[in-house]
Amino acid sequence: MSVEVQVNEADLAEMVEQVWVSYLDPDGVNPLVRTGNDGQPSEVHSSVSITGSWTGHVVYASSTLAAKKAAAAFLAMEPDEVSQEDLSDVLGELANIVGGNVKAMLPPGAQLSLPQVVLAPESATKYPSAERVSGLYGLWEGEPVSISMWQSRNDVRKGPKG
Amino acid sequence: MKILIADDSRVMRQIVTRTLRQAGFGDHDLVEAADGRQALDLTTAESPDLVISDWNMPEMTGVEVLRKLRAAGNDVKFGFVTSECTPEMQQQAEAAGAAFFIVKPFTTERFDEVFSPILG
Repeated sequence: MSVEVQVNEADLAEMVEQVWVSYLDPDGVNPLVRTGNDGQPSEVHSSVSITGSWTGHVVYASSTLAAKKAAAAFLAMEPDEVSQEDLSDVLGELANIVGGNVKAMLPPGAQLSLPQVVLAPESATKYPSAERVSGLYGLWEGEPVSISMWQSRNDVRKGPKG
Repeated sequence: MKILIADDSRVMRQIVTRTLRQAGFGDHDLVEAADGRQALDLTTAESPDLVISDWNMPEMTGVEVLRKLRAAGNDVKFGFVTSECTPEMQQQAEAAGAAFFIVKPFTTERFDEVFSPILG
């Protein structure tokens, strides 16, 4: 028996929609358009780790321009005013929000880490002994944005907790 | 009234501040804390009327801050704005004496609904 991941692409899409409606696209004119292209490039990414009833990582990745636009929307400024610190902080917050919402859908007893931000493509970070179990890939104003979940293989082998 | 906003994310402190303003609560004095320890120290030193706190913060979690305040006899109105919302957390928050629990992402309407009865 393995731990079934209860959070699928449709769940991720619902969380992402909430984030977009609340912060990134309050007027509902520029939603994240799903493409399903899991090979799309990224330039920056952020992640939170979850341990406990489910163990793995939740990763937010995008182009630098998409991250700048997100920071501009979060901080109510123009994209060209966004500093690197702004960009890092907003990427961390995006991972935290999505990770927190993912955690809420997991069995009780999961712990969320503080976010980590890497200003390099998602492929620059490796998650040893973890495999991607779900992901949402899309374009926001033509720029790549993705959210993916990576489950620890140890977690899979351990089986469900009583 | 004085409001303390505790969140380790500068971005989220700004968003909470902006959302308070958009919900019509922009005239209150705002104080910011960047971790749990600061939240505890500033709540004691500044005596805010309301504390809006993140859950997951360095140094001390939000619920630990709340428990320490209550243990010290401080009954300031205290609640959470957090991306994490499990039934166990809500129970812990309620048991510790939290007045509200707002889940990120949140809207201006949600702030209005929660803070109108508190801030008037």
